[in-house]
Amino acid sequence: MVLEIKKISKNFGGIQALTDVSFSVEEGEILGLIGPNGAGKTTMFNMITAMYPPSSGVISFVGNPLSNLKPHQITEKGICRTFQNIRLFSDLTVRENVMVGNHCRLKTNVMQSVLRTKAQKAEEARVLATSDEILEVVGLANDKETIAKNLSYGAQRRLEIARALASRPKLILLDEPAAGMNEKETNDLFNLIKKIQTLNITVLLIEHDMPLVMRVCSRIIVLNFGKKIAEGTPSSIQNNKEVIEAYLGVEEEDELA
Amino acid sequence: MLGELINPYYLQVSSFILINIILAVSIYITLGTGQLSLGHAGFMSIGAYTTAILTLNYNMPLVLGVIIAAIVTGIVGTLIGIPALRLQGVYLAIATLGFGEVVRVLFINWDGLTNGAIGLSGIPHLGREIFNLSKSMGIEPDMFGLKNNQFISLAVFFVLLIITISVIWFFVRQNNSRIGRAFSAIKMDEEASEAMGINITYYKVLAFGQGAMLAGFAGALYAHLMAYISPSDFDYHRAVEILIFSIFGGSEVIWGSIFGAVFLSAMPEFLRFINEYRFMIYGALLVLMMAFRPQGIIDVNMMNRFKRLMPKKRGEKKHGTGNKEDQ
Repeated sequence: MVLEIKKISKNFGGIQALTDVSFSVEEGEILGLIGPNGAGKTTMFNMITAMYPPSSGVISFVGNPLSNLKPHQITEKGICRTFQNIRLFSDLTVRENVMVGNHCRLKTNVMQSVLRTKAQKAEEARVLATSDEILEVVGLANDKETIAKNLSYGAQRRLEIARALASRPKLILLDEPAAGMNEKETNDLFNLIKKIQTLNITVLLIEHDMPLVMRVCSRIIVLNFGKKIAEGTPSSIQNNKEVIEAYLGVEEEDELA
Repeated sequence: MLGELINPYYLQVSSFILINIILAVSIYITLGTGQLSLGHAGFMSIGAYTTAILTLNYNMPLVLGVIIAAIVTGIVGTLIGIPALRLQGVYLAIATLGFGEVVRVLFINWDGLTNGAIGLSGIPHLGREIFNLSKSMGIEPDMFGLKNNQFISLAVFFVLLIITISVIWFFVRQNNSRIGRAFSAIKMDEEASEAMGINITYYKVLAFGQGAMLAGFAGALYAHLMAYISPSDFDYHRAVEILIFSIFGGSEVIWGSIFGAVFLSAMPEFLRFINEYRFMIYGALLVLMMAFRPQGIIDVNMMNRFKRLMPKKRGEKKHGTGNKEDQ
C-alpha cells in the first residue's frame, strides 16, 4: 500500500467538504478519483500534499503518517502533484521549470553554488541530464528553451507533469490533466500516464473525462458531496446505480417510487 | 600627465555610484523572491552606525568594522525576515517601511551612542586608511605623479570597484544555480514552489537576510566614505531611492538593477539644473514605468537578445534562470 487515507474529514467553517473518506492506493496502480464538481476531490489532494491539514483522520504514505509536515517535505517523501489550474513558473523556460521540480533532490548550498565546487558542477550536470530525460518522456524535448507561458495548452499540462516527475516521486497526483484538451492531446495524455506507470510511479488521477478515466484507471473511487459512494473497477463503476444518480440525477418516477 | 586626467570629484561621484550599485543588488535579491521591502534604508543605517560606533568608540580596524556591520545587519535582517514571511506584497512593504522608521527614530533618540540627530562625525575615512596603509608600505602618490587627494580618490574608487564586482560576481553565480532557480520559482508562484519541494521559508528568509546584509555592508562603506552620518541620511527617501534603482532599471535581472543604480545616480550629475527636482522626476519616472514597462528598462527578453548577439564562450555550458543555452 503506497497511500492510505483513513477516515478523513475536512470542514471549512460550516461547510463539510469531506466526511469520513477512506481508501488506499496500491503500489503501481492507476487509481481514478472522480465525482461531480464540488465533491471534494481537489480538497483531498490538498490534504495529501499538506496544503492544509485534515479536520480529522490520518493519511499515511508507505506506512508512515503524514502529519505535521510541510508541503515541501511531502514532496521530498515522494508525493508530487499537478494543479487543476495550470501553475507553471510561467516566465522560466521549459527546462528550467523541470529543473526547479528536481530541487528537492539536490543538495548544494549557497557557498558551493557561488564557488562552483566539483560537487556542484556534477550535480548541475545531473540536473540537466535528468531534465532532458524527463522532457523526452513527456514529449517536450524540442521545446526546452521555450518560455513556459508560450507553450500550447496541452503542452503546458504535460510540462506540469514533467515538473512533478522531476521530483522523483513514488506517487504522482494528477489534478484534471485532460481538462481543456482536444481528442489528440487526450490520447497523448493516455499514453503518457501509461508510460508513467511503467516508470514504477503510482498514479492517483482526478479527471472528468470519463472515457479517459475508464480506459486508463485500474480502479476508481467515486466521491459525491464529500462522501465516498463507490469504489471498484471501471466496469463496476459504470453500472453502479448510485454513481449514475450522482452524475445524471434521479429520474422523477424513481424518486416517487 | 596622469595627474591632469584624474578629477577627484568625478571619482567620488563614481564611488557613490558603486555603493548605489551594491544597494541596488541588495534590493534586487529581496525582490527576487517577490518580497517588496522598504526597509533597506533602515538596514543600511544599521550597517553604517555599527561600523561607525565600532571604529570610533572601540578603535576597531575599519575592515573589521565593515565586516561586523554586515554580519550584524544580516542577523537583524534574518530576524525581521522570519515574521515578515507572513506578509505579502504591499503589507510587507508597509511593515518594512515601519521598521525603517523605527530604526531611524531609535538612532535619533539613542543619544549616548549615536549622538542623536546631529549624527556621528570623524568616522575613519576609507581613503585616509588606504593612504596611510600604502604610505607604510612605502608607496607614495608622487610615484604615480599624483597629488594626495587624487591618489586617495583613485584608491577608494578601485577598492570599491573590486568590492562591487565581487558582490555582482557572487550573486550572478548564486542566481545561476539551484538557489537562484528556487528564488525565481518562489517569485512566480509560492504555492506551486512549495508543492514542487522548495522550502519557501528557508529561501525567503535567506533572500531577505542576504538583502539586508548587503544593504548593511553598503551602509558601512557609505559611512567610511562620507566620514559623517546622521539619521536623516537613511530616511524614507533613501528607502524609496534604493527601491527605484531596481524598479526603474529592472528587477528581473541583476543587470537591470545595476543599470538603474548607475543611471539614476549619474543623471543628477549630468543634469545639474534638475537636481532640485530629482524626487519629482523619480515620481514621474515611476508612474511612467508602471504604466508602460512595469518590468523595468532591462528585462529578461532584452538580456536574452543581448546574449545571442554576444559570441559564445568557449563551449562553456551555462544554465539556470535567465540564461539560454543553445540546443
